[in-house]
Amino acid sequence: MKMKLFPVIALVGAFIVACDKDIQNPLLEPYAVSSLDENAGQWKPYILSSVSDIVVPEPKPVTDPAYLKELDSLKNYIAPRVTPENRAAVEHWGAGAVYRWNEIARELSARYNLPPASNAEGKYPVPDAANPLKDPKFPFANPPYAARALAYLSVAQFDALVTAWNYKYKFNRKAPYKIDSGIKPLLPASDLPSYPSEAAVVAAASYTVLIAMFPGEVPYLDGKLAENKNAMIWAAMSTPSDITAGDALGKAVAARVMAKAKTDGMSAANNQSRTPAMIETAKSIGIIEPWKSQESPLRPTMLPTYGEVATWNFSKETMIAMRPPKPWIVGTPEFEKDLKELQGIQKNQTREQARIANFWADGAGSYTPPAHWHRIGAEAGKDAKYSEVRMARTLALLGTAEMDAGIACWDAKHYYFTPRPQQFGVKTSVGLPNFPSYTSGHSTFSSAGATVLSYIFPERKNEFEAMALEASNSRIYGLIHYRVDCEMGVAHGKTIGGYAVQRGQTDGSGL
Amino acid sequence: MTRIFAAVLLFRVLLFPAFLSAQQPNDAIYMDKNAICIVAAYGHNSWDTYWENTLKRQNLNIGTNTTQSFALMAAAGITDKLNLLVGLPYVSTRNSAGNLLGQKGLQDFSAALKYKLFNNEGLSLHGTLGGSIPVSNYVPDFLPMSIGLHSATASARLVFNYLHKSGIYFTAHGAYTARSNVRTDRDSYQANDKIYNSDELAIPNATDGGINIGYLKNSLQATLFLERFDCVGGDHIRRNDAPYPTNDMEATNIGAYVKFQPGHFGVNARYAYTTSGRNVGQTTSLMAGILYQFSIKKSSN
Repeated sequence: MKMKLFPVIALVGAFIVACDKDIQNPLLEPYAVSSLDENAGQWKPYILSSVSDIVVPEPKPVTDPAYLKELDSLKNYIAPRVTPENRAAVEHWGAGAVYRWNEIARELSARYNLPPASNAEGKYPVPDAANPLKDPKFPFANPPYAARALAYLSVAQFDALVTAWNYKYKFNRKAPYKIDSGIKPLLPASDLPSYPSEAAVVAAASYTVLIAMFPGEVPYLDGKLAENKNAMIWAAMSTPSDITAGDALGKAVAARVMAKAKTDGMSAANNQSRTPAMIETAKSIGIIEPWKSQESPLRPTMLPTYGEVATWNFSKETMIAMRPPKPWIVGTPEFEKDLKELQGIQKNQTREQARIANFWADGAGSYTPPAHWHRIGAEAGKDAKYSEVRMARTLALLGTAEMDAGIACWDAKHYYFTPRPQQFGVKTSVGLPNFPSYTSGHSTFSSAGATVLSYIFPERKNEFEAMALEASNSRIYGLIHYRVDCEMGVAHGKTIGGYAVQRGQTDGSGL
Repeated sequence: MTRIFAAVLLFRVLLFPAFLSAQQPNDAIYMDKNAICIVAAYGHNSWDTYWENTLKRQNLNIGTNTTQSFALMAAAGITDKLNLLVGLPYVSTRNSAGNLLGQKGLQDFSAALKYKLFNNEGLSLHGTLGGSIPVSNYVPDFLPMSIGLHSATASARLVFNYLHKSGIYFTAHGAYTARSNVRTDRDSYQANDKIYNSDELAIPNATDGGINIGYLKNSLQATLFLERFDCVGGDHIRRNDAPYPTNDMEATNIGAYVKFQPGHFGVNARYAYTTSGRNVGQTTSLMAGILYQFSIKKSSN
């Protein structure tokens, strides 16, 4: 009886058990900000008419017994009881409240970015906001939806923070550890006045927007809100009165922002009854073969009237005036040339082309292209050690540009109503979006995003523009857009992003 | 066993796309020392129904998903009790409906050593150590079109066998397979309801096991089998989402296998059908091969 192999098997077994396969998100080092942006209280908000629209009550003086009791509690009750889990939460939220809430919104977008399945009657049920967790879940967080959710999120954060900055420097209450040197903060110390707490402002504003955008996620968001606020107490960055004031301010500002959101036309963005007239318009301007759904059963086009939703940085008249020109018409030599390019790639797609197509695909189930650009913007702001308020400004400029890009692109798509290459037998290596072809959403989103980020981080202009061009080309390599869709989308996105840049140049920041 | 039997290297098609796991290291058949058997096999696997998590459904935008493979495999007798098995398939995929682009290419090279640990009065125990490694840079996460998961694997298997003099035999086998994480073309993805800011996908390890009842005598082998494959962890396909390599794929298959090898040349064929599963297609799998067996030296016994 030979059992020589058993030790080897045992060894392999031990290796297998020891092998840790879990993927960890990279740890982020909390940073001391490069600038406090002391004058941000004078920056121009988006929705509020001024930074004093919302009144924040004057805090008790730092000599008040109630405040002294808060300090004593931080030092003698909370600090000795901070657990390793509390510390982990502090580290996590130390990356920045704007940064983390943007990440949460991206995660929710990915969770909800799934198209409804067809039912037994061959129809696609429309998600119901009143029953968000029932199949199909509400929302279907497709690119226009995610662009809008992230825009309102960033705008609410920005308006709330510029208001907070106004009161911070008006009341000038120092951070707990600046008042009592016996208090040791777990995050980098700062001279930023601590009332109202900027983290609580961001958390409450973000929470208020996100429970409206993702109504099935209230328990999840409750947990995040509580953790973000608690982390600032555990870290001794704020006292409970700083947090309470910040929470109230964030919620009040976000309520104003959501009141605007409710009247921006989104509730009428899926008006399918308008599509026959859209197709007639397209035919009347020469589109001889309009777009048809390539899904089975035929799926109605995604949000055909999203183009009518209110824009941020330019008027509807401007949007129509800068609508991209008519694309190549089926059968023309220019069209045939673009189609041939795709047929050639389909036959001999290189691995590098597939890689680029996959990298930027951001299709169903992902956080979508506008959220991809939010991630790029948030990372750039973190690398530049931006303050909360400057991070919010970055993402508000970016977020409004992304939503504007979505609206203007959807307007063009449903004005021209052009066919996808799949109507001519082309396959795809990334999955086919269910709406007309011209112009490419990826190209428009990416070019608008790169334009805004190049203004904010001019030293990285070449890098952002190269990314946008690659994202645009990815749709050709993935075989779902003609070159003209992509090139005109890039040009359109650049113009759209330019309007956000103009806004940034005149928002009082001097940046 | 003193007779010369060709060890059969079978692709076991268990997973969603074209997951062709190692060979047939789950039998009790050995090549004698210095004997080599080469197999050229064609495989055809298809499904039009799949389990989206636990929901059994069809998809008009997939129609029937078909995976074809052409594989070269070999088994060699290092000693009478120790065999080396190797294999390499070329795989292509396509759908009968919808517009997803089929994928094709060389998939994973696999190798295994099978050793006879114990043999007495028809009762035998065998151990197999195997592994596989992708040989081309195919895309792992374009399921259900990807030709494989691009994971390197290492597996350990025990095979228990009883062969009656009549030729009737019974086999039970079980294995644990460690599967490496894989890199994708993306720098972010969703799994387990979370966003991972990484290009690395956690591929769950897997277990499999099964029983065979068959007849093995002279130049004929015929077997009925039941097998089960289970990932250790992993997430589930979300409602109306595509499958993903991180999924907890599970399948129960039944099937039959026949081999006839009167001389140097032989033929074999295999049929399998997935009776139940989770995050996999309900696959009908057909395979047919030609075997050629020879000896590089005169056998010393």
